[in-house]
Amino acid sequence: MLAGSAAPTEAMPRMKVTFKLYATLSGYLPGGARDHQIEAEVAAGTTPNEVIDSHGVPRRLAHLVVLNGVYVPPSERDRAILRDGDTLAVWPPVAGG
Amino acid sequence: MTASKPALSRDQLVRYSRHIMLKEFGVGGQERLLASRVLLIGLGGLGSPASMYLAAAGVGEMVLVDFDRVELSNLQRQIVHGTSDIKRPKVQSARDRLLAMNPDVRLTTWEKALDERELIDQAAAADVVVDCSDNFATRFAINAACVQTGTPLVSAAAIRFDAQVAVFMNRGDGGCYRCLYDDAATGQETCAANGVASPLLGIIGSVQAMEAMKILAGVGPGLDGRLLILDGLRMEWNAIHLRRDPGCPVCGDRPSAHAS
Repeated sequence: MLAGSAAPTEAMPRMKVTFKLYATLSGYLPGGARDHQIEAEVAAGTTPNEVIDSHGVPRRLAHLVVLNGVYVPPSERDRAILRDGDTLAVWPPVAGG
Repeated sequence: MTASKPALSRDQLVRYSRHIMLKEFGVGGQERLLASRVLLIGLGGLGSPASMYLAAAGVGEMVLVDFDRVELSNLQRQIVHGTSDIKRPKVQSARDRLLAMNPDVRLTTWEKALDERELIDQAAAADVVVDCSDNFATRFAINAACVQTGTPLVSAAAIRFDAQVAVFMNRGDGGCYRCLYDDAATGQETCAANGVASPLLGIIGSVQAMEAMKILAGVGPGLDGRLLILDGLRMEWNAIHLRRDPGCPVCGDRPSAHAS
């Protein structure tokens, strides 16, 4: 869950996640982001889709979601699978040939 | 492989000598390649280098599929076609070029989009399918045919400076193209509207030819289970480890009857 999506308490644990947006998605990163990435501090239990949503990335463009180099299928993107120190990377769809 | 094992002629021993001297390849690898059959769909930016390397390398039989004709705006990147081919069907243009490169290769051409039945039949008859198409609907149909027939699929895509390439062996354990892309992949971007860097297609189409050739020759562990992503602007590669999606409508635990 995001910090603002649930009642935050002093005891709510936080974690740091490296969030990377590639290709045309890099425009969704805040100003000052370098090398496609930012360090995001999120509440423990935050899901990949919540991190994607919180940066305004339309889910239809968040096609390849990768956690620590391993593909995360759509059916697992609403699960609390992020851990402190993880790297979450997202690529847009590509079909041209 | 689909044909009986041929004996190499004297000319073939010379033509393919740089393959044969590779210890991983040898005469056996070249013979397997010459006895193999590839279904290659799309003779555009990716299909140009992929088909040219596969033909030059000595694939025995290639089935080429494309309904389109050559246009002037294709020639910046679709290197199997030439200026004098403008307005010709791409399959005819490619056929002439590939046969000029290597008369060993037997070519069959389809100047149309294959329907579902034709796609399944052609995938079943092929040892490898190389997807060089340019839209998700075609890619989904090709993937469904490959999963249904258990045919290895070498898939790639490119736009602007970004490209992807992956191999799906379709043995039932490693996931398929549809695990990566779902129905939301409809508002797709095209190279015609957004542009694409010419050599990017050469790089990625050549990776497709490399992986297809290795599968056919029985050489190397290959790309199976990984997706390579290239940022051609930074010249950075990323390798992603793929997993089967249990919710995939094609290869998942509860596949849809007519999913593609």
